[in-house]
Amino acid sequence: MSQWLANVLDRASTVNDWLSPVRQTALATLREQAWPTRRTEAWRYTSLHEVAELELKQAGNSASVANAEAPAIAGLNSLDLVFVDGQPVTDFSMLTLSAGVTVTQLHGVNAEQQGRISELFNQAKPAHHLFGLVNDVLAEQGVVIDVAAGADVQQPIRIVNFVTDGVESHHRVLVNVGDNAKVTVIEHGAGNGHSMNTAYAEYVLGSESKLEHYRFAMHGQEAIHMGGSHFKMGESSRLNSTIVGYGSRLTRIDTDVIHAAEHAFAKMNCIYLLAPKEHFDLHTTIEHAKPNGTSEENARGIVGDKAKAVFNGRIHIHRDAQKTLAELNNRNLLLSRGGQINTKPELEIYADDVQCAHGATVAEIAEKELYYLQTRGIPRSQALVMLNFGFVQELVNQMPNKALSEWLQPLLRERFSAMETK
Amino acid sequence: MMLTIKDLQASVEEKTIIKGLNLTINPGEVHAIMGPNGAGKSTLGYVLSGREGYEVESGSVEFEKQDLLEMEVDERARAGIFLAFQYPVEIPGVSNMEFMKESVNAARKERGEEPLSAAEFLKTAKAACKQVNLPLDFLKRGVNEGFSGGEKKRNEIMQMILLQPKLCILDESDSGLDIDALKVVADGVNSQRDGKRSFIVVTHYQRLLDYIQPDFVHILADGKIVKSGGPELAKEVETSGYAWLEGHEEASA
Repeated sequence: MSQWLANVLDRASTVNDWLSPVRQTALATLREQAWPTRRTEAWRYTSLHEVAELELKQAGNSASVANAEAPAIAGLNSLDLVFVDGQPVTDFSMLTLSAGVTVTQLHGVNAEQQGRISELFNQAKPAHHLFGLVNDVLAEQGVVIDVAAGADVQQPIRIVNFVTDGVESHHRVLVNVGDNAKVTVIEHGAGNGHSMNTAYAEYVLGSESKLEHYRFAMHGQEAIHMGGSHFKMGESSRLNSTIVGYGSRLTRIDTDVIHAAEHAFAKMNCIYLLAPKEHFDLHTTIEHAKPNGTSEENARGIVGDKAKAVFNGRIHIHRDAQKTLAELNNRNLLLSRGGQINTKPELEIYADDVQCAHGATVAEIAEKELYYLQTRGIPRSQALVMLNFGFVQELVNQMPNKALSEWLQPLLRERFSAMETK
Repeated sequence: MMLTIKDLQASVEEKTIIKGLNLTINPGEVHAIMGPNGAGKSTLGYVLSGREGYEVESGSVEFEKQDLLEMEVDERARAGIFLAFQYPVEIPGVSNMEFMKESVNAARKERGEEPLSAAEFLKTAKAACKQVNLPLDFLKRGVNEGFSGGEKKRNEIMQMILLQPKLCILDESDSGLDIDALKVVADGVNSQRDGKRSFIVVTHYQRLLDYIQPDFVHILADGKIVKSGGPELAKEVETSGYAWLEGHEEASA
């Protein structure tokens, strides 16, 4: 047990709200958790020594945070829900919502909704994520989005969470997408300074619903970020998810896609970009529990000098999940010999009539490509940016929302410049 | 004088390939460099372009009164040197269009000109594409990605047309081409001859020189120019091959 986790358990006993009954279950599980070491499989390549003794100021529960404006995204016209260190900045009472959408702060869920919403809690997120459990017991702030059956919500909903220097915060998102409903949700994390933040989001997709999902984990170099996006797929539901993550002092993201009903389709594209000395760890799991499900996952990462990336892609096809189609591909580009990538596809297949493909590659930046671009007058650093773009462009182009992919281009350019070894 | 190479000696992986090469090129001239395999023809192009791993041991190269050997690869390119590769590399993910726009704008910036807008560039690129007989969708494809050998060569010539360099080095731009593709490449090159732009045409065979008329022909053997002359020298190679060189080397040794 680390000092930090001991403090978490102490603090958890002071949390008392309408979610307390479900939090208690999580707390009981958390108490039984051993602090991960290098021998813990899920943490084999990611050391938690940065967290073990961490002592940061706790984000307050009163919403007296400085005004912060979400970085505008041209052409997106999103409904922005802005938080700083997990505390709301947006006045939720002033929101103009699309038809069929209810947006509530986590602590503001009214009595009649409570029963139903608490059923969403830990529906999609499995109990084995240590920091997910921490989030379960400590996250008093967050957002609940409820999309009514049949609602076709055009306006994307963006949840922006800024972290600030010296603060520890916990933030939770619960989304229910009703049967036949359609919605776009963007989880956007940003901010600089030495902070520690857990941000977990759960999505329950009804039958034939469609969710377009984005997670941007763009925290500064000093941040510690632990988070997850978890999806429970209803019958014939469709998920299109794009995750873009920067490295930091320590970033760990876990995703779970659970095919809990038949004929669901899940597509997930992940891009991770590590500047020198940064750490980024992505663990993805796809559970095919029912037959006739399809999943396509592509993860691409570029790793700077002395940076370390971890990718673990698990596909678990249960015995009943016949006729599953599952593809997983992970490609990595090392910008220098000093970078490190640990990639592990993990397939567990218990059904005998499935198609499942996986692959992982690690390549170095090709000097002959750099040379070729330079012989046409392009300076080396610009050539590197172009090659980096080339490596991830395909996934950026696949983002269904063009305003978001346009917005991403200059950010990536800036990021690639920061990733260069000078 | 545009380019002056004096006593150039260069090595690759500690093996000396260029062994005391002298060459002077004036504006507007076309110099053909012929020679047997392994003579150092391609190495010369790489050394002039500044490729890493090609070490200059001694000698000097002056390009438009600048010390070329002190310049980075991209600086040389922006100063006006263009190397058309024998085997251009494929770069999937980077579009031909994006690549050439960045190249052209890097050259424009060097000359103190404003960058071309996307629309302006597209117009120029389409014209160049047409000139070398490549379908327009090649602009959208990844750089050389999945191109045939001939398409890659034509793509190189298209880049040359777009970049408007001062000195073009064509490294075996004829190899692997059928006669029609060869004509397209030669026409592309000839369209760029304007009395000021100079060319070094590196080739193993005389065939290309039927279409690109050289002013001078040099025979490169074992890292040195062993014979120079006019276009008639190329004809001589066509009839007698390079076998006579062995006798020459013995004589000079």
